[in-house]
Amino acid sequence: MHELSLAQSLITQILALAAEHGACKVSRVVVTLGPFSGVVRDSFEFGFSILKQEQEPVRDAHLELETPDPEYRCLDCGKVAVIPFPRQSDRLELARCGLATKKCPWCGSNRLSPQGGTELILNQLEME
Amino acid sequence: MCDTCGCQLHEHHRHDTKVVEVNRSLLEANQKQAESNRHHIEHMGALAINLISSPGSGKTTLLERTIDALKASCAIGVIEGDIETERDADRIRAKGVPAVQLTTGGACHLDAPMVHGGLHVLEHFAKGRPFDLIFIENVGNLVCPATFDLGEHRRVVLLSTPEGSDKPAKYPATFKSADLVLITKSDLLPHFDFSVEEAASQARLLKPELEILTLSATTGDGFATWLAYLRQLLAQRSPHVH
Repeated sequence: MHELSLAQSLITQILALAAEHGACKVSRVVVTLGPFSGVVRDSFEFGFSILKQEQEPVRDAHLELETPDPEYRCLDCGKVAVIPFPRQSDRLELARCGLATKKCPWCGSNRLSPQGGTELILNQLEME
Repeated sequence: MCDTCGCQLHEHHRHDTKVVEVNRSLLEANQKQAESNRHHIEHMGALAINLISSPGSGKTTLLERTIDALKASCAIGVIEGDIETERDADRIRAKGVPAVQLTTGGACHLDAPMVHGGLHVLEHFAKGRPFDLIFIENVGNLVCPATFDLGEHRRVVLLSTPEGSDKPAKYPATFKSADLVLITKSDLLPHFDFSVEEAASQARLLKPELEILTLSATTGDGFATWLAYLRQLLAQRSPHVH
């Protein structure tokens, strides 16, 4: 539910930048949501789409979300691996086949420790 | 009429598109306020601890017993975060320690600007007397509070035995952000299917160097180690200006 406050701070940031650059309209917003940021993509998009209606300069802004794949360090062999989250639609199937637990691609251990990935970044704005 | 900007003054005209590379955190405003809170707290002479857990895992009870044990030797202040009611602040005040209740009116976490307001009220209550230790009890929630730095010096996450030892695996962002995990209500261990070992190994998967203590605020088991942790923090405080 904190996605709404984050969407609000994004809009505040955008409005300040638009004013700073003398733009009257923002058309595109590019944001990175780290895989371990604890932010739910859909809720964040929903929050943004609601809140942008209240502000003329961002009303038509298109939000582009970049979500990098998660990175893990294996606590057994020490190697780092990028292991994408399974798609929501594949999760049940994976669980049914007993593959729901992710494993280190190098040594097969399941002691994988998430690395970084907590970033929430406003990368780029396109404005007119 | 120009159908891009909607103005009535002229026909359609060219609108220049400008792409600006920003590369700034969405939490920038909160982060700045958090840094300023940390400075503010140090200026008050204190260290701050942000207590995070789900509702009912014993944050306020932990504080009551901690206050009983430490109030003779150290000046404590408490900022309580809840969606509604002054109940928690009242419990703390009953222990003779100043407490500020922040009611978020629905918000699921505290943020740095709210705590900033709380610090000023706390200073006002204490009439300028310095503090040693400020506890910030976050809104009971294992999800949202993790994202917001409040200006604390240590983040302590509580996990009570009735909640189950799978919680670190289920709420990784929160446990990964902790400096210390307290497994509370250890007196209930015989009655619940809770494995301290499982909770600890799951939490240390997220953060291998994480400190974990087990205690009961009801019986006092393990409490001495927690108090020693706090005393050690206080002893390490850098010299400050009042």
